[in-house]
Amino acid sequence: MTATALTPGPVRGIAAGAPKRKISPERISASITLVVILVIAIQALVAIDISIPKMFESMDNAERFFIRVGGVTFPPLGELLYLTALTVGLVLCGTLLAAVLSVPVAILSASNTTPGPAWRWAGRFVGVLTRAVPDVVLAMVFVLMFSLGALPGIMAIGIHSVGMISKMFADAIEQVDEGPRLAIRAAGGTKTQEFVSGIFPQVMPSWVATVLHRNDINLRGSVILGYVGIIGLGREMSYAFKAMDYSLGMGYAIVIFALCVLMEVVSSSVRSVMLGHAPTGRGMGDRLVRRFGKKSPRETMANAVGFASPAQALVRPWTNARRRNVVWGITSVLVVIGSVVISDIQWRDFITFWGKVPAIAVQFWPPTFGSYEYGTMLDAMWKTIAIALAATFLTLLGSVVIGSLAARNVAPNGFIRSASRFILVVIRGIPEVILAIMLIVVTGLGGQAGTLALAICGVGLLGKLIADSSEEVNPGPERALTATGATRLQVFAGATFPQGVQSLIGHTFYLLDTNVRAATILGIVGGGGIGYYLLNAGQGSKYGVVTAIVLMILATVLVVEGLAMWMRRVFR
Amino acid sequence: MGHPQSLPLPATAGIERDRTVKVAFLTKLFGENKALDGVGFEAGRGELVVLLGRSGSGKSTLLRHLNGLEVPTSGQVQVLGEDLSSLTGSSLRRLRSRVGFIFQQFELVPSLTVLENVLTGSLAVVRGPRLGLFGYGKARRLTALEHLETVGLLQLAYQRADTLSGGQQQRVAIARALMQEPEILLADEPVASLDPESSDQVMNLIRDIARSKGLTVVCSLHQVDLALSWADRIVGLRHGKVVLNTLTENMTREEAMGIYGQVEVATITSEFQAIAEELDTPGHRERIARDLATAAATTRAGRKAP
Repeated sequence: MTATALTPGPVRGIAAGAPKRKISPERISASITLVVILVIAIQALVAIDISIPKMFESMDNAERFFIRVGGVTFPPLGELLYLTALTVGLVLCGTLLAAVLSVPVAILSASNTTPGPAWRWAGRFVGVLTRAVPDVVLAMVFVLMFSLGALPGIMAIGIHSVGMISKMFADAIEQVDEGPRLAIRAAGGTKTQEFVSGIFPQVMPSWVATVLHRNDINLRGSVILGYVGIIGLGREMSYAFKAMDYSLGMGYAIVIFALCVLMEVVSSSVRSVMLGHAPTGRGMGDRLVRRFGKKSPRETMANAVGFASPAQALVRPWTNARRRNVVWGITSVLVVIGSVVISDIQWRDFITFWGKVPAIAVQFWPPTFGSYEYGTMLDAMWKTIAIALAATFLTLLGSVVIGSLAARNVAPNGFIRSASRFILVVIRGIPEVILAIMLIVVTGLGGQAGTLALAICGVGLLGKLIADSSEEVNPGPERALTATGATRLQVFAGATFPQGVQSLIGHTFYLLDTNVRAATILGIVGGGGIGYYLLNAGQGSKYGVVTAIVLMILATVLVVEGLAMWMRRVFR
Repeated sequence: MGHPQSLPLPATAGIERDRTVKVAFLTKLFGENKALDGVGFEAGRGELVVLLGRSGSGKSTLLRHLNGLEVPTSGQVQVLGEDLSSLTGSSLRRLRSRVGFIFQQFELVPSLTVLENVLTGSLAVVRGPRLGLFGYGKARRLTALEHLETVGLLQLAYQRADTLSGGQQQRVAIARALMQEPEILLADEPVASLDPESSDQVMNLIRDIARSKGLTVVCSLHQVDLALSWADRIVGLRHGKVVLNTLTENMTREEAMGIYGQVEVATITSEFQAIAEELDTPGHRERIARDLATAAATTRAGRKAP
């Protein structure tokens, strides 16, 4: 090839002689699908009509609204603290339930621990199903089965979260080093021992990280559970709004908002400490971790102290590391016990609820649209999908900018990088529902508020994924372009972005997948789409309609998930 | 499990009586590929046997048959008087617990402490899953610490396994195997990932322990010199066949240096003999014998040439 290029000859000859680029038909169809989805997303965005002049118009609305409401009021401090503890405790119990339930599901679904292919499919089916049914719907069902209190919420969160936790856990199990497990088998260990001693210690950090991450998501989601009667801050807020007490409602919203952001910051620092990422950044979190995580010279001394005999070594020395672990351990146990105590679980319900199952199951079957017309329902479903698409498109635009600026190899300086990372963490903490409620005040009921809320919150997730994958690209091409005298922007466009674009497609579809579910939920608080009908049907005890809507959501989610899997495979 | 059982020390290295490992006509197929082809060898109590050969010669596969990690396609494997093909489930696990296994890559759980890793060696005895240190009981913890003292790592008992050097990790793996109170020790390239100094340390440790406890050791290696100075008996493998089975005490230094060459020549010889038998005519025989001699000479010369 090079030889041909070097011989001087007619230009036409070279062009004709060049090899044609081969593209597989699957890639072509995937690209066309991608373009079609993009066009639909832009159309949806236009149809939802988010325009600057309209926003200003609405601002006047908001101003009038706040004048009428007369500012924000908070509930009394004692009540507020109790409700906050109750919400956090309930969510934690639910997440822990899911964490325990997800272990067997993950073992069945992971290729290297499953007892057989049939079991594996069963495990994956449970995972997909629990993920696809919204926790609000589960909460509606459980409110009917259990006496009022925390239990329906714990069960709804616990079952819905199994899907995500078991999937991530199964992925982690599939990636472990098989060696230690083989060593235990060679020493005569059983299959259970192989798992507990050989695999579990390897996957435990990622399991805990996933559970913590899920706990944040569940805390944000708990707001909406309040709308179907689950106790906590969410329910008080929904009551306040229902009673037209907007100033108190906004007060609750602000508290939830702050709580979620705080939890996100705490758990993301815990995760990064536990996963052993060296905190090298200049960000606030990294600085804190470095400050408190530093090993003192005393500890190095303690490790050097010798044991005179095996008997003496029986007592484990109290190094700082051990002290720290014990303090962490005791704290976590206390938090868990506190959560269980404050949730005030009616244990008897676990025995009595079985009797109610048949009677309730009958109410949910057969699925029907009741008094609604097919057209209305399909239109509402389409509206939900349109909101998700438009929001994903807006998020993509925003995340490419903020996410790239948060990457070490793209950001012009450390300050901008740290600032961008911090913005991302804060955005990740914002509960979409609360943002939507605040935006509804500005834009009025409908699709605009939902779209904007999803678009803004999506930046937290997609921006972080973009930042991480930008930092993971091969630095060679970047250095090569810098060496040719390219500007920063040219290096980004010529080396960083092309390397990261494939994972960008994968991440964007993941976001779309999440947004379809989230858009449904936003309908419940007035963000437009199918969620409104879901809440109405639930409150009107038309459970056949609930089933019909859930089936519609399920079908949509499965289609999007299938599309996402296909795209990830083709553009790998 | 109290103290290591005391066995009479072998008078000489090569012991004729009390065979602990017997392998006969062992063949293993992986799909089309013949990993082991009619392998047979025996090892006596207290004997140090080295399986010598290049990578892909079937050493690891053979070792993995000796504790039932692989199932033979055909042939017999008898370990500690038990026919492995007749063992399943708990009886197989009981046998495995009497056979220690040491891996090339150590195979410790990186996030656990050294002591926790050693304790996993007693899982077959304690039955049921165990997490953390205290599930094993005080007596067993003391035993584990004693084994750590044996391998010289008592001071590192509470360090995470992944903070140790390669040689230290392999010594932890040896302590883990000792936790089983084994009668046989299998070692698959135990020093292939280590530097020469740590290699010597680990190999000496295995020999000292084996001698003091009267253990049979079957160890695969690819370093000829190490094998010669260490083993009682060398079993040479090539393409899944045993091509050599000699006591090292009967080997001269010269013979020893040519082991890899001899291994090759032995194969060539058997191949030529097969052809010769096929073409059983006097003229052919003479020519083939001549070719054979030339080939052997060339191989030796090729080995000696830099």
